[in-house]
Amino acid sequence: MFEFLNQPEVIKTIVTLGAMSLFFVGLFGLLTRKHIVKVFISIAIMESAIFLLFIGLSFNREKVAPIIDATQTQVATMNDPIPQAMILTAIVIGMAVLALGVSFAIEYYKLTGKTEIDTMNEMRF
Amino acid sequence: MNIKRDIPTATLSGFALSAVLVLTLITILLQYLPLSQQRVGDALLVLNEKEGVANVVTTVVVYFRGFDTLGEIAVLFIASLGVGLMLQPNTECRLKAESNFMLQTASTLLFPLILLFGIYVMVYGHLSPGGGFQGGVIIASGVLLLLISHKNFEVPHTVIVAFETVAGVSYVLIGFMGLLLLDTFLGNFIPHDIANMGMLLSGGVIPLIYIIVGIKVGSEMSGIVQNLMQRSDDV
Repeated sequence: MFEFLNQPEVIKTIVTLGAMSLFFVGLFGLLTRKHIVKVFISIAIMESAIFLLFIGLSFNREKVAPIIDATQTQVATMNDPIPQAMILTAIVIGMAVLALGVSFAIEYYKLTGKTEIDTMNEMRF
Repeated sequence: MNIKRDIPTATLSGFALSAVLVLTLITILLQYLPLSQQRVGDALLVLNEKEGVANVVTTVVVYFRGFDTLGEIAVLFIASLGVGLMLQPNTECRLKAESNFMLQTASTLLFPLILLFGIYVMVYGHLSPGGGFQGGVIIASGVLLLLISHKNFEVPHTVIVAFETVAGVSYVLIGFMGLLLLDTFLGNFIPHDIANMGMLLSGGVIPLIYIIVGIKVGSEMSGIVQNLMQRSDDV
């Protein structure tokens, strides 16, 4: 009954729409939430939407993982390794940015006792 | 109740403009879906058969884009440095309460297994899914388990610094040895027979670099989680 879902067009359309929805969920949280940690969580959600879009668009159901072993030796039947390597890089960078941002937020809270981004006005003249 | 009186016109027009932009973006994205075009990695997949290891993603990350990975390690190092500078480890403000006996025993039992699994993922990164980044994060999760279960546990700061320094310096040294011996930075100067693909000792310099990356990522992530755990709880 659901065989039509296996077509690559349908899969990639679903992946695109889902990744865009997740991205806009993160964007909505980024624009509307005032708590600084929630802002960082929204940025992380937007990042994961981009990861899903890259991996989902480069994924092909009929092809196998790009690892050569005794049974898989034909490179033509393998998935594209470039997006996976790029996303591996992006995940690490995103984690580093998140850890640094959260540590800034903790230290700022210890210094001033504020968590709402509306009240952070120390630099205002 | 009139809706125009409650919602300002600027908000409504903003929503309308956003809707138009979103629809345009979705149309563009759906029109250019990469269905049957030439893929980016085809050339590298072919090249991997001549001078790579069994896991093509590892070859791409460590060998074809090795300089990029060096920069990524530098970014991770700077983030770890920033966390360490921001959150001065305060040894007097540890966890207040001793954790459960079962949690303590189970984490002591599990930590060597987690460490072993992390090292396995790291060492076999060129043959199976996994690699240095993943193995390093697994080791850091084991350290986090011990940090939340044992009140007085602490990885000595000198140990973290020593691992991190040795790994970072040896990455750059391997790159410069490739430059000296083969005229390319991070060149594969260790003899590697392509017939050995799939064996543990194959690929020359590639598994060595991924193990170095794993040691560096593991020590840096352990430092980050330790700094975040040992923040002072006052204020």
